[in-house]
Amino acid sequence: MTNQRKNTLTGLLFISPWLIGFLFFMAYPIYSSLKMSFEKVFITPEGIQSEFVKLDNYQYALFKDPYFMDEVFNFTKTVILMVPIVVIFSMIVALLINQPIKMKGMFRAVFFLPVVISSGAVINELFAQGAGTIPMVEQYGIVTMLKDSLGPGLADPIIEVIQKFILILWFSGVQILIFLAGLQKINRSIYEAAAIDGASPWETFWKITLPGLKPFILVNLIYTTVDLFTNSVNDVIKLIKENMFKIETGFGYATALSWIYQGLILLILLVIFFFFRNKEGKKERKLGYRKPRVKRGTVS
Amino acid sequence: MSIKSTKINPDKFHISQWKFYVILLALSTFMILPIIFMFSQALKPMDELFLYPPRFLVHKPTMENFGDLMSQTSTTLVPITRYLFNSVIITGSVVLLTCLVSAMAGFALSKKNFMMKKVIFEANIIAMMFVPAAVMIPRYFIIETLGLTDTFLGHILPLLALPVSVFLVKQFVDQIPDSLLDAASIDGANDFVLFRKIIFPMIMPALATVAILAFQLAWNNIETSVIFMNDENLKTFAFYMNTLTSKLENNVAGQGMAAAAGLIMFIPNLIIFIFMQSKVINTMAHSGLK
Repeated sequence: MTNQRKNTLTGLLFISPWLIGFLFFMAYPIYSSLKMSFEKVFITPEGIQSEFVKLDNYQYALFKDPYFMDEVFNFTKTVILMVPIVVIFSMIVALLINQPIKMKGMFRAVFFLPVVISSGAVINELFAQGAGTIPMVEQYGIVTMLKDSLGPGLADPIIEVIQKFILILWFSGVQILIFLAGLQKINRSIYEAAAIDGASPWETFWKITLPGLKPFILVNLIYTTVDLFTNSVNDVIKLIKENMFKIETGFGYATALSWIYQGLILLILLVIFFFFRNKEGKKERKLGYRKPRVKRGTVS
Repeated sequence: MSIKSTKINPDKFHISQWKFYVILLALSTFMILPIIFMFSQALKPMDELFLYPPRFLVHKPTMENFGDLMSQTSTTLVPITRYLFNSVIITGSVVLLTCLVSAMAGFALSKKNFMMKKVIFEANIIAMMFVPAAVMIPRYFIIETLGLTDTFLGHILPLLALPVSVFLVKQFVDQIPDSLLDAASIDGANDFVLFRKIIFPMIMPALATVAILAFQLAWNNIETSVIFMNDENLKTFAFYMNTLTSKLENNVAGQGMAAAAGLIMFIPNLIIFIFMQSKVINTMAHSGLK
């Protein structure tokens, strides 16, 4: 019991610096922005004044605002397409780099580069200069072909993904790193055993590598989703920022918008969690639990 | 293939590896393009900047843009070195403190048991996806009540609560087996020794990543200068560069200078990256995280 209490105490001790900062600069501001989302906020020379307006902000955002919901839906469609691409791409790159090749270090460094590119200033600059698109796509009529065959509702996000393909690759730095760490965690002797048993590389990938990477896939899905939804080239966030300083709408309305947006992100993450929790549980029942039992039996 | 993959690294180039090289080289080119683009854009003379169709690489490189930028900087009251000094101090402390604080928090969240642990971690995930702009005004109130306006702490403290870093570190600590920690504590290591001798070295790749992220956040940060600082002497280099270029954004002559300023802001990011990435990679190879 005392041991457990000691454990609790050191735990709290270790987390306290972060927790205090978090409470002051994240938790409280988030709480007060929730409060503001039900208010109309005026910035006057005498200070900031607010007036309680119940659900007006939310009602206006959901039913009357001509841009917001459209923008959110379009963006969500793009993100849902982009997340799997980023995760799969970074997994492929991680697998390639993990192969026995020369100049590993150099390749690793190059593929980690997106970490400095995709944040803030640089990507804005590139965007402004129009470097994020592939002009070829439009030239060869792929755009019109897609539009004809799929209809604009489905085609638009796909076209956007194709046009931003290079950009997508630039969002994969941290993900590649996480996958590499995951790959190195998988015990080499398992691969040796599989190779002796005559498993093909293809089978090895599906039966050993992929299950081993599963927790890292989940981490990457979450990271990518959050990264895409909150980065600075995001149209929805730009719209929210614009509303913040408009006189008709103001800060209260802008916070209401960000809470709606927040709810949506949370929903998407919950869906990801739900799928992964289930699958992981099944896999463990199938594979993982049997092995330790056998081992324990043979040792004792 | 299956037999070869059991070896860790080949001694020399083998002909069967060509396919990896082709794919990797093609993809690497994509990754390096934006950086080449930044450099070539900053070195372009006026006529090449407005060429249609735009050219990717510079043909007649010139330092003209940097010269223009320098002549702009000499017209303000506060010397440019003052902004640089501020930025260096702020960025340095943010990077060090963020690493320390998030390593400690990640350790506690992953390996310790205390009440509200789950709630804290979930709150962190929610904070991670919160639109940063929406907490700007509430944060201002807090900074004001704590009396941090016009101090360095006003720059540093708000940036420390970086939820992504705690998330990343916690995921890495999760991968360290409990048995390793148990073994160490049976040998008489207390929690601080555990943290310093085992956790810290093992999560180095994550911490190096956190350091890179924190560096970028702090170095490129303009918001704290705009909102929390009234004293011109306490504003950051990023803020200064931003005022220089935002004045010029709409006129034709400003484009080249904006590109030059962008490059100047970007180079420290690149240097930190080159420095830290070797740490990420070296420790990943030898970390024994298995």
